[in-house]
Amino acid sequence: MIRLFVVDDHALFLSGVKAELAAMAERFDIVGTAADVDDAITSIRETMPEVVLLDVHMPGGGGLAVIQNVTETHPDIRFLALSVSDAAEDVIAMIRAGARGYVTKSISSEDLADAIERVKAGDAVFSPRLAGFVLDAFAHGLPEAADPELDQLTAREKEVLRLIARGYPYKQVARRLSISVKTVETHVSSVLRKLQLSSRYELTRWASDRRMI
Amino acid sequence: MLPGRSAANIVAMASVADRRLDLDLFRRSSDRVLAGVAGGLADRLGVPTGYVRAAFVVATALWGLGAVFYVALWMATFERVEDRSPTSVEPQQAIGLGVIFLGGVFAFRGLGWWPGDRVVLITGTLAFGVAVLSDFDWVSRLFDPTGARPSKLRVGAGAILLLSGLGVFGRSISQIQTLGSAAIAVIITVLGIGLVFGPWLVGMGRALGSERRERIRQEERAEMAAHLHDSVLQTLALMQRTDDPKRMVTLARQQERELRSWLYGDRASRSEERLAAALETVAARIEGDFSIPVELVTVGDTAIDEVALSLVSAASEAIVNAAKHSQAAEVSVYAEVADGRADVWVADRGVGFDQTSIPDDRRGLRDSIVARLGRVGGGAAVDSTPGDGTEIHLWAPATALDVRSQP
Repeated sequence: MIRLFVVDDHALFLSGVKAELAAMAERFDIVGTAADVDDAITSIRETMPEVVLLDVHMPGGGGLAVIQNVTETHPDIRFLALSVSDAAEDVIAMIRAGARGYVTKSISSEDLADAIERVKAGDAVFSPRLAGFVLDAFAHGLPEAADPELDQLTAREKEVLRLIARGYPYKQVARRLSISVKTVETHVSSVLRKLQLSSRYELTRWASDRRMI
Repeated sequence: MLPGRSAANIVAMASVADRRLDLDLFRRSSDRVLAGVAGGLADRLGVPTGYVRAAFVVATALWGLGAVFYVALWMATFERVEDRSPTSVEPQQAIGLGVIFLGGVFAFRGLGWWPGDRVVLITGTLAFGVAVLSDFDWVSRLFDPTGARPSKLRVGAGAILLLSGLGVFGRSISQIQTLGSAAIAVIITVLGIGLVFGPWLVGMGRALGSERRERIRQEERAEMAAHLHDSVLQTLALMQRTDDPKRMVTLARQQERELRSWLYGDRASRSEERLAAALETVAARIEGDFSIPVELVTVGDTAIDEVALSLVSAASEAIVNAAKHSQAAEVSVYAEVADGRADVWVADRGVGFDQTSIPDDRRGLRDSIVARLGRVGGGAAVDSTPGDGTEIHLWAPATALDVRSQP
């Protein structure tokens, strides 16, 4: 049973997600919901959920502000970003702020439930598109990267990301690479860690370059 | 503790108010010259207002006593609120204030607290100038350039008062220090002009800037409204006229894709000159034709040449096959350009097939995919297990474009 908190400023979407997850009552306990940034920050601190399902675009600083504020005091609460936006800028910003994963709102409820459980277990959740973003962002490896360990992906990590980008669920990625699901999860988590800790400001620049409205 | 204290406060406040009320003296809010003190006193004493006013003026001439008394009464009384009139008595009040000020000045002079005529004249004039100009309210106008403009009369009066004050000041300095009086006069004049017109110019500049910003914002809003009208609203209207849920989903997907590319798409690569954009177009078309979601993820990009065009056609064929035959819920397409080649994977989690069982007359895969890519130095590989989905891997030589360096 995972203690879950849902933040979304769209009432319709919020109630939809709530209803879908409430149908899996034996897996999730929705301890609270919030529709704006300030409410989310105070209520999350009060209810102490294990996982927060977080919308990205909200008035008053968006999901980014919620992550930054809550992790300051409660670093053990995990965030899964959920958004209609798949703009690289938003995705990379959320991940670098500390979200453990990023899924788009078109995700099926079964996949969403899996993603939440994975985040709860401490693993990272990469959608195909996010995997594509990460590959793209790290593809232009710069020779003067400050910390090669953090600023490059290993060959194995790239393989795993490529398979995720090709649409394979973790189980099939593991089967294709003849490794265990646990190992796939380890690779993905280490990519996430690199994404969050990498010193390359180019990551952010790359992301914002992708958003040329 | 706290409640007791606040109760005591309330009692104290009430007693002050009571004492004020005990006087039964109110300042008049209509038919008044200054603050209505004389009028109120006349009402209370039952004598004509003119006498009371005259008494104040006479008393002011006597060492300013009238002025002091007037201010004291002003502070001690309330205005009668119920008959407040909206008519402005501003000029009269200003004159009255001046009289009170003069009375105060004379009172201080009579008492012997007096630093000298010249000092009082200079500071008094400067103070008046600043006071009149302060109606300019330029500090707040710095932040709100749309605020009301001050009257020309007020600006003029303030400027004259300031300049004359500064003039006297400057003359007294130049007499003392025998500096070039012309230079000082120029400096003082420039200062005065700056004080008077500076804030106004700044305000005007800001007003212009904010007008421009507002106009740009409106244009953007209009452009967005036009776009939403042409696309989203049309689609929503169309969906309301559809009974077929599958068609509804397709419409929604198409619209979503279009809106996304408009919102987040990068314009440089949206032109059909690029592989990613060409694949995007293909995916959107097939999604529409076959009512099946096509998830496209691209990494890197390349310019469209003959080779890349073959790759796009082959990918198109593969996606169509998956959409037609796989019975999967969606098709995943992943394209990557790196290390001198472009790879496209078209995958579905559908029924799959046995490659040896393909009849010879169904030549789509062999002709349009394998042969076509073979001609341009690429190739294709099929990986399919019955019941466990299909993946077709296509590749061709390509030179990666650095997306970031493109305009």
